[in-house]
Amino acid sequence: MTAALFGLDPIGESKVKKWIFSASVAGVLSLAVIALAAPQNGSNAATPPARGRGRGGAPRRGPGGPVPLLSDGHPDFSGIWNGQQTIAGNDVTSTGPGSSPTTGVPPMLPWAAKVQADRAKNQFADDFEARCLPGGPPRIPPYHISLFSTPKLVLMLFEGNTHMYRQFFVDGSDHPKNLKPTFYGDSRAHWEGDQLVVDTIGFNDISWIDGQGHPHSKQMHLVEKFRRPDFGNLQIEVDIDDPGTYQGHWHMNRVTTIETGMEMTEYVCNENNQDPGHLDHANNDGKHP
Amino acid sequence: MNTNRRELKFAITLLTIPAIAFLALPLAAQQPHKAFPNGVPPVKARKPPAPPAGPAPKAEDGHTDFTGVWVLQGSTTIPAEPSYQPWAQKLYEQRKAAKGKGDPESLCLPDGAVRVTALPYKFVQGPKMIVVLSEGNTHSYRRFFLDGRKPDAQLDLDPAMYTGVSIGHWDGAALVVETVGFNDKTWLDPTGKPHSDAMKLTERYTRPDLGHMNVEITVDDDKALTKPFTFKRVFTLAPGWDVEEYVCQAILDGVEQP
Repeated sequence: MTAALFGLDPIGESKVKKWIFSASVAGVLSLAVIALAAPQNGSNAATPPARGRGRGGAPRRGPGGPVPLLSDGHPDFSGIWNGQQTIAGNDVTSTGPGSSPTTGVPPMLPWAAKVQADRAKNQFADDFEARCLPGGPPRIPPYHISLFSTPKLVLMLFEGNTHMYRQFFVDGSDHPKNLKPTFYGDSRAHWEGDQLVVDTIGFNDISWIDGQGHPHSKQMHLVEKFRRPDFGNLQIEVDIDDPGTYQGHWHMNRVTTIETGMEMTEYVCNENNQDPGHLDHANNDGKHP
Repeated sequence: MNTNRRELKFAITLLTIPAIAFLALPLAAQQPHKAFPNGVPPVKARKPPAPPAGPAPKAEDGHTDFTGVWVLQGSTTIPAEPSYQPWAQKLYEQRKAAKGKGDPESLCLPDGAVRVTALPYKFVQGPKMIVVLSEGNTHSYRRFFLDGRKPDAQLDLDPAMYTGVSIGHWDGAALVVETVGFNDKTWLDPTGKPHSDAMKLTERYTRPDLGHMNVEITVDDDKALTKPFTFKRVFTLAPGWDVEEYVCQAILDGVEQP
């Protein structure tokens, strides 16, 4: 599982192997790509060597330059954005089951605290991401994300997690009434200056907010403000409000950089996924398989 | 997990052989979430609205605009019988005889670029790329690149993918999409038509009017076929529709109902 790559936890060892194998299927070709592309690409030139934790390496500052514009004059977010986003402020971690603690969690209502404690006690063995189910926003998969802007619709295409998509409608429409709860919710967007404000509701209550098993309710309201200050950088200000689960709200600032000279590849999580059987449950013997 | 804990207590109490229960737990944990071990049931298609009349729209750059939500007219089974090489014909016969058992689509694996579902597809068009969003199957996407890149561009891609790499170009009002870089894991349709990793796919999209999109599809595969074959599909525009969320894995896993 993508998450396991980041957690570097033995629970994800098989998936790491699988990922490494997938990546290596290209064999000499991939190595040649890295060897050829890296020195020619200004944005990659200063990148430290990959750490074996998924593509993208360490977060870094993207190249400057003018922001491309859409035909209607608004900023064009199209491009491939590094999945290893730097997160400033309070963190909804992108990483996997039981990995680095999420910070800035608002006080949980009693039911939520119990659910989260049970999941922690169970060593996060039922993490949706490990089961190839959508992590669902606000959680972000650590692999790359492609944005595709058109004047009335912006798409967010995921490489990792479930290789699915989100749609941000920028056509002036409001959320439909009686939304059927979904993993990705319903996103309506509008411009505030050069900032695209994406408002999402209509979530189901079965996905986790993060790898630490924090729950959310169907009342979750997500607001993401996208801004591209220059060619190579993207800022996403995220607010999570869920009065059915938390007192107070989460606020965080995500920063990510553009990727050039490469393309999002195909990621098929549920192809021979070995993770669920390897995730420990609390009543197991505590040793990893 | 509570269930496992209960099972453990049950085993200890009734069987009084804790060691056996202890050994059995890791086995039970290997596939803890499979509501449909033999594959998800087929999805029921919604009846699309009647396609509207009118001329085909043009994009700002003057090319035919395919933007919209489209639904396949007719069957998802390919209306042609490929001329297979013996190994591929044998595999095809085996799959037909198995009557859908082992169908990758039912296990929530990607349909690839040739196979389609009866659920809607949404085309989102820009000057340099067209994205095709799929409601059904893996709820994923295809991208047709119109930015002049070459299919063998060194872009750190897996060389063998379910959906391959699709490069488009305009031929008058038609959009021609050529796709290579496949693996050999998909079925070309529900009957199990096989292909190899040498498959080359050519799709010619035309929009004769507002409400219709025609696709002429040519499959060339010198490892599996004795000669290429061509067939046609027609999609109708579904005004007012969008691609809804369908998560096959959630049904397979038992967290959502089919």
